[in-house]
Amino acid sequence: MLKTLNFQDMRKKILGMVDHRVRIITAGMGLDELRAAMRGDPPTEKPNPRFKVHTTSFIFHIRPRYYEAGSTILTHTFRLGFFTAFFFFVELFTGLILMVYYTPSPEKAYESILLLMNNVPFGKLLRDLHRIGAEGMVIFTFLHMMRTYFTGSYKKERSFTWLTGLVLLGLTMLLSFSGYLLPWDQLAYWAVTVGTSMVEAAPVFGEQANLILRGAPDIGANGLLRFYLLHVVATPLAAIWVISIHYYKVSREHGISLPASIEEGDVSAEKKRVAKQRIDFIPDLLSHEVFLTCLGLFLLVLAVTLGGYSAPLESVANPQVTPMDTEAPWYFWWLQGMLKLGDKTIMGIIIPTILVAVLVALPYIDRNPYRRLVKRPVAVAVGILAMLTLVMLSYMGLPQWGIEANPATRIVQDMMPEEGQGPVREIPYDQLQAGAYEVGVTPGTRMCPNLDFGCPELEGVFAEYSRRVAEAEQIGVITDIQALMVIEDWQQDLKKITLRMVYTDSEDGERKTYERHIFRHRERVME
Amino acid sequence: MTAETSLDQKKLAVNRREFLNIAWLASLGFFTISLTGVSYLFALPRFREGEFGGVINVGKVSELPETGSSPVNYPEVKLWVSNTEGGVMALYKVCTHLGCLYNWREQEGKFVCPCHGSQFQADGEYIKGPAPRSLDRFVVQAVDPSTQQVIAESTDGSPLPVPDNPDAEIRVDTGKRIQGIPHG
Repeated sequence: MLKTLNFQDMRKKILGMVDHRVRIITAGMGLDELRAAMRGDPPTEKPNPRFKVHTTSFIFHIRPRYYEAGSTILTHTFRLGFFTAFFFFVELFTGLILMVYYTPSPEKAYESILLLMNNVPFGKLLRDLHRIGAEGMVIFTFLHMMRTYFTGSYKKERSFTWLTGLVLLGLTMLLSFSGYLLPWDQLAYWAVTVGTSMVEAAPVFGEQANLILRGAPDIGANGLLRFYLLHVVATPLAAIWVISIHYYKVSREHGISLPASIEEGDVSAEKKRVAKQRIDFIPDLLSHEVFLTCLGLFLLVLAVTLGGYSAPLESVANPQVTPMDTEAPWYFWWLQGMLKLGDKTIMGIIIPTILVAVLVALPYIDRNPYRRLVKRPVAVAVGILAMLTLVMLSYMGLPQWGIEANPATRIVQDMMPEEGQGPVREIPYDQLQAGAYEVGVTPGTRMCPNLDFGCPELEGVFAEYSRRVAEAEQIGVITDIQALMVIEDWQQDLKKITLRMVYTDSEDGERKTYERHIFRHRERVME
Repeated sequence: MTAETSLDQKKLAVNRREFLNIAWLASLGFFTISLTGVSYLFALPRFREGEFGGVINVGKVSELPETGSSPVNYPEVKLWVSNTEGGVMALYKVCTHLGCLYNWREQEGKFVCPCHGSQFQADGEYIKGPAPRSLDRFVVQAVDPSTQQVIAESTDGSPLPVPDNPDAEIRVDTGKRIQGIPHG
């Protein structure tokens, strides 16, 4: 009886059972193997159980078993593709959670964003993360494409992957743009109006496409619903599909390219051998990816908390009033810049179409078999030129460029924009001492002797206002400027701030007035 | 001899397998085309009369603003009714540049767009700015109130001379937009 109670046996038996369970959960790795992998030891069994995971587990099935050492060099890929995917997943998760509080109707949409920002614990954090993730995804998709271009990785067997990447660039921009409308504020409404107006410029189908997109001649309940569905169903599904193809090509077919200097440079056979050495996915690459994910999440959270990044929200959308300086999202500025250069159809549709066609056909146009930068001077020159052009066009797309605005309107708009923040709104409430301050008359220092600590911010803004007025006087489009800043106690805890400019228009010599006012409430923190 | 030629003829003609292949490919193509058409028709938004996109009654002739006075805003249907020297015009409220809503500047007597500063006259004629063409107009009709018949119509976007009948109704067909003339 006692003989059968062998503790050694029992321990072995239990360990065996645990090991079996662990093998099932990890899809192939036992306890000892797991421990060895954690410690970075070589595999404990043959055949390599770390490879078995790649055939049995779904998640790891789509990941490669190993990378070639040369392709993991940081300065070769900068992990740009990884971070693009990372941002996509950040968007997916934060987006799904945000959907809990969001209603896609003109009556409810703005309200639900306000609720999310002011009344839902971590609601603002999630919204900010979703927004910064969207910007990040657009930036990283573009950088990833640039990297692929300059390392010549789109050539030969990777040409189809390049094509799917281009589709993904388009989908990323569409994802970002379709999400733009959802908060239903002035920024959203008019940016999307301007954006869809570009679609309308297309010949033949432009007007129809615009109608289908907006759900009516102008954006309303139908348009919001359509953009919502586009944003949460259609584009993400398409993106998941194309990302799968894109990634499958990379992981199963051709892998990440080796640096050109190793592949075709004058390097020793030994160096080539080292570059081709395999680095197993488990554990090295997996732990690296976990590290990158943590780093990315940490930086994102840092940016939206201590970094002060917050998703903008303007006043509720008003289809009857267009605010000044309406512009498309920044990744369409280049298009806006082009639209300023000439005809809507040529600049807005035909040239971008040619551009896309050139990008699609790039692997077939560029027959140069080499990948090293020194061996493809034309491609490098074209690439750099294209980037410079893009930056320049984007700059030209800014509302301040190439558009004649009345200097008085410009100054007031810059100091106290119709929508958004601006210097005047940033003056602390307590420094808003009632009074009429006139540029050139009121002394710019010690403006508030009655306040204990003075009003340095108010003085700063007033100095900026004075400087801008003096500048305008010098340029001479408007002259004899009498510029006023009036602060009034309007109600308890409510101040009215007026900027008024009376000037002589040098065009017709008439005396004209431009003024604008805003109200500031003591308790108002949102914006 | 005869058997051989008939066999050759058979070879030239489409055999059963080929025919079936072509038939199902063709039906697949037809299905795709019809699916596209159906989706297009499904996605195309609907309008109701009186809503934007339909025909809108902007009032009787006697209710029109005085000739040469400031244009009248119809915000819910996105148009300005302008009574110029030449007659009544219905201007589409959207700037021809990038779709912002321009405003009437009483002091300066012209339309100015807040987005990019394009300027237009009361009759929609381009003055300056990045807009590629003059303002778009709608088809304007004058309708006899009793018979509901169209007395006068301006289909090319030119001003509609005001009819003598003060009770005649002025209607704007917002479904028919005429593009403004591009400037040089």
